[in-house]
Amino acid sequence: MSHCHTKVDQPHASEILPKLETPQVLSKVEELVRRYPVPKAALLPVLWVAQETLGWLPQEAIRWAAGKCKVSPVHAYGVSLFYTMYKKEPTGRFFVQICQNVSCHILGAEAIIAHAEKSLGTTSHGGTTEDGLFTLLRVECLGACGNGPVLQVNDDFATDVVDGKLAMPEGVALTPERFDRIVAWCRKRASDLPAEPVRDVLGGLFETHGHPGAVGATNEPQKTGYAPAPPALGVAAAKTEDGKVKLTWRAAPEVSQLHLETRAETGEFSALATISAKEKDWTGELPVGTEVRIVAQSGDRRAKPSNAAKVEA
Amino acid sequence: MATLTVTQNFGKGAADIAVYKSLGGYSSLGPRLFDLSQFELIDLVTRSGLRGRGGAGFPTGMKWSFVPRNTPKPVYLVVNADEGEPGTFKDHVLMLEDPHRLIEGMIACGWALGVRTAYIYVRGEFLKAIETLNAALKQAYDAGLLGENIQGSGYSLDIYVHRGAGAYICGEETALINSLEGYKGQPRLKPPFPAVSGAWASPTCVNNVETLMALPWILEHGPAAYQALGTPKSGGTKVFSVSGDVVRPGVYEIPLGTPLLEFLESSEWCQGVVGTLKGVIPGGSSSPVLTAEESAKANMDYESLASLKSMLGSGAVIAFNDTRSAVGMLASLTRFYAHESCGQCTPCREGTGYADRILKAIVRGEGRDGDLDTMLDLAANFSYTTICPLAIADAWPIENFIGKFRSEFDALLASNAGHAESRVTSDFRPGAFW
Repeated sequence: MSHCHTKVDQPHASEILPKLETPQVLSKVEELVRRYPVPKAALLPVLWVAQETLGWLPQEAIRWAAGKCKVSPVHAYGVSLFYTMYKKEPTGRFFVQICQNVSCHILGAEAIIAHAEKSLGTTSHGGTTEDGLFTLLRVECLGACGNGPVLQVNDDFATDVVDGKLAMPEGVALTPERFDRIVAWCRKRASDLPAEPVRDVLGGLFETHGHPGAVGATNEPQKTGYAPAPPALGVAAAKTEDGKVKLTWRAAPEVSQLHLETRAETGEFSALATISAKEKDWTGELPVGTEVRIVAQSGDRRAKPSNAAKVEA
Repeated sequence: MATLTVTQNFGKGAADIAVYKSLGGYSSLGPRLFDLSQFELIDLVTRSGLRGRGGAGFPTGMKWSFVPRNTPKPVYLVVNADEGEPGTFKDHVLMLEDPHRLIEGMIACGWALGVRTAYIYVRGEFLKAIETLNAALKQAYDAGLLGENIQGSGYSLDIYVHRGAGAYICGEETALINSLEGYKGQPRLKPPFPAVSGAWASPTCVNNVETLMALPWILEHGPAAYQALGTPKSGGTKVFSVSGDVVRPGVYEIPLGTPLLEFLESSEWCQGVVGTLKGVIPGGSSSPVLTAEESAKANMDYESLASLKSMLGSGAVIAFNDTRSAVGMLASLTRFYAHESCGQCTPCREGTGYADRILKAIVRGEGRDGDLDTMLDLAANFSYTTICPLAIADAWPIENFIGKFRSEFDALLASNAGHAESRVTSDFRPGAFW
């Protein structure tokens, strides 16, 4: 798809707004805007919804999407030009994209494209057949290289027709014969169904509560502290040469304070000392057999205690 | 049969939550996960040796440790499912086959980083995967596995799917964040890194689909068991997507460190090469190509491929036999990068297009002496002069294809009767792309 609007007749706003301002479309837009901390972020999905409704993206639809996402029309227009999947011009009913990238290329994509151009009688650079059924486009990697060469008909991958449906069975690559079968399937569908049923471009959007409504960019407070405070790990006690006991441990960087606790042979742990987390070890007098553990504190949250280390003789 | 940590549910219909649970899914959402503190979980992932599976191979535990804790801003998790590297198709299959494993991995990552809202950025072409994910998310919400107070733990997480719209560059993490925010997908300057200031200027963790899907297994079996599957420096298993001239292309999970040729020849995996092997692109289109001799020395892990001056990348293995033209393959790659350059930095925007036009002329049989040197000169000049690595990803194939298969290029140049004439550079000058 080209990166700019070609000579396309742009419909007037009065023609497309009645199609966009329907309860169904508006409820989708409302859900999408709710999902992000700022409305601007919903621009890509709202453009998708506009494209789903109209089949392509006329300039007035881009202006409409910009209004819904509270961005300037020129921003929305620039974004729509950047992404190749937004159709800036109407396409045929079956939009056939054939991959020409390296995996498909070495397995014969060029031959398929040449065959497609010949059998459909149009160019592979976005040409549409005279009956308006097919638009053919050569594209870069579609992400199904294991079946290369592959194509997409609208949003479905296909290398063959199986049981009356487009399919991409494992290990089945596109050949000119299979391409003809896919085209025949499309033609039959066109004679059976008067129009292509609208497909949800966002893949089954469902209602959610949305973003909790807090974000750095909007300077609103956000709930924090969903996960517990980090503890100290790997406490070890060792005798030093002068008969004292040296404790060493590891603690997460955000720990602010460490509480040392000791326990004699029986009984509860009791506080020994509270030190800053900047200290990397602690040395002091402790009787042999004492158990030592550390409780880390970050802010006003205390972590669960570390494992206990025993002072050996 | 090698141990599988990510793809064990393939072909079992695990996209349905009942099937996934019957296969032991969501069992980590209890004491196994919620009794761990953030620090312990990050420590556990660090010890597992898990590295980012999206391409760069950065240690996941270390990446998580960069995300600040106790910050007044929200922390976002963004899953990078914008799989666009030519040759790569593993994430697509992973999402179609086992979406709940991704959700379970996201909950674990969210718990480790204190995430309240997470997004899955899925490539626009993968509508079927988006449908699968949305259906899986709906099931998880209905089962109380997402939303407020997951399983009575007090932890809340919301996950939304965001559909991309066709731009390879959005797989770069800062471009992906820009795209998520509703901008053109153009990469940002780093620093600040996303871990500190990413989506909406808040701390953001961007992880690949496969990385997160490895977490449930690591939580169940412990980090030592995962580390032991691979090599000392590359722990665990990796999912490879194989395409090109092999008997059975597809998605395979193998232990890191498996010899490349054994992987290609094994009856369990690719079942051999069609024809005589000429070379292998071992890690997606941007990784330097290996000749057949180099392939014989390569093991599929980060260090072995780095020692051969290539890289594991996203794990996209493209094998090609001696009937394939190296010139045609390189032309296909340079066209891709010229097309996908976002247009932000001049060296990349102009340079990739320039290289593409020269190579197209060579393929048409209009190559001139000196064209190859011009291309190498261009590649050297657009490497490391841009914001993101897209230009380097173009330079590496140019340098390696020309360096390793130069005779083919020279033969094609010599077939042009006028190859000694100097080129009319005005037709090829920078800017002619537009």
